[in-house]
Amino acid sequence: MNAKANIAPAWLAAGAGLWFVVAPGVHAQPNGVQHANNFTSTEYYGPTNQQQIKSILSGAEALPQPGGLLIIKQLKLEIFNPDGRLEWVVNAPECVYDTFKGVASSPGHLEVRSGDGKFRTEGDGFLWRQSEQKLNISNNVCTVIENGATITIKP
Amino acid sequence: MKRHSLVVLAVLGGLMAHAQTNTPGAPSAPRAPMLIYADSADFDLNGHEAIYRGHVRVDDPAMKLTCALLVADVPQAGGHPNRIVAETNVVIDFTDSKGQTNHATSDKAVYLYNVQNGVTNETVTLTGNPQMENAQGTQAGDVIIWDRANNKIHFDNPHMISRQNLTSMPASTNPPVTMAKTNIPPGTVENTDRTVTNPPVTVVKTNIPPGTIENIDKNISNLLNSPPPF
Repeated sequence: MNAKANIAPAWLAAGAGLWFVVAPGVHAQPNGVQHANNFTSTEYYGPTNQQQIKSILSGAEALPQPGGLLIIKQLKLEIFNPDGRLEWVVNAPECVYDTFKGVASSPGHLEVRSGDGKFRTEGDGFLWRQSEQKLNISNNVCTVIENGATITIKP
Repeated sequence: MKRHSLVVLAVLGGLMAHAQTNTPGAPSAPRAPMLIYADSADFDLNGHEAIYRGHVRVDDPAMKLTCALLVADVPQAGGHPNRIVAETNVVIDFTDSKGQTNHATSDKAVYLYNVQNGVTNETVTLTGNPQMENAQGTQAGDVIIWDRANNKIHFDNPHMISRQNLTSMPASTNPPVTMAKTNIPPGTVENTDRTVTNPPVTVVKTNIPPGTIENIDKNISNLLNSPPPF
């Protein structure tokens, strides 16, 4: 299973279903959308694999904004494949998610790493387009690839 | 196109000390990670592809690469990038086991990696005015294929541009410059050229009395209008 199939519903869960999260501190807002602290949102695979976690979205705070925007602080998104293997981990101190357009963005820092930690990339300023499954990092990009290969030492 | 293959041991030496080889059973050690820096990047997590733009720099254990645009596979978990394409002002620097610095340039470089039947294939193909330079000189070709797994470099239509290393040449081959004796009078080249192209102006003596062209014309018209002398 690739990241595309996993990460999109996870972001959807953040925007559309935040009130279902397991949140120790939940406060009702005048517009009916709730403000959550230390929230976690878990998404599962479909009927054929209901017990398998697809993604876990967590954050220190979620602040609903007008126009379907959602400010998420201390974002952490973990994406799993159908076998339960951790595939991607995304961390961002803060981002804004447009629940209507399915776009997450921030001028701040972003870190992405593969589940095994052998592919890591980070940078400042990002845009995640959910429909296209593409991530743009606009500044100071640094990628580390640990390929697991070895140096063969000739005797 | 005639394809010529060269084994450039002098260039590579033990270059691939960091590269994988196909030697079975040899002891191994972890390979240092590859680092990629860029101004910006686009990641297609579905297509497992990354596009780096602007001041791209790759720090690999075996080489340093800079370019303007780099497209790389995003490897699957635990995998190795199978294809990396660098374009525009590609510069690759590496140091061999003898400590000799090698410098390669091209318009495009394609890195390919795969393992088939337990054999590792790892190549870097340079195209677009590729050249490889070291202390001995500069080698060029239509295409340069750097076979990293086998420590070989292949050149298509190779040619070498020799370059003298003055510090290593015997003194007798560089005799001191002496002034050659000629018949040319002392003077700088600048003066010599000026003398040739701008010779001194001399007054040409004629039988025409002093006067301007206007006066000459006036005299002629007076002669024409005057009555005949008979």
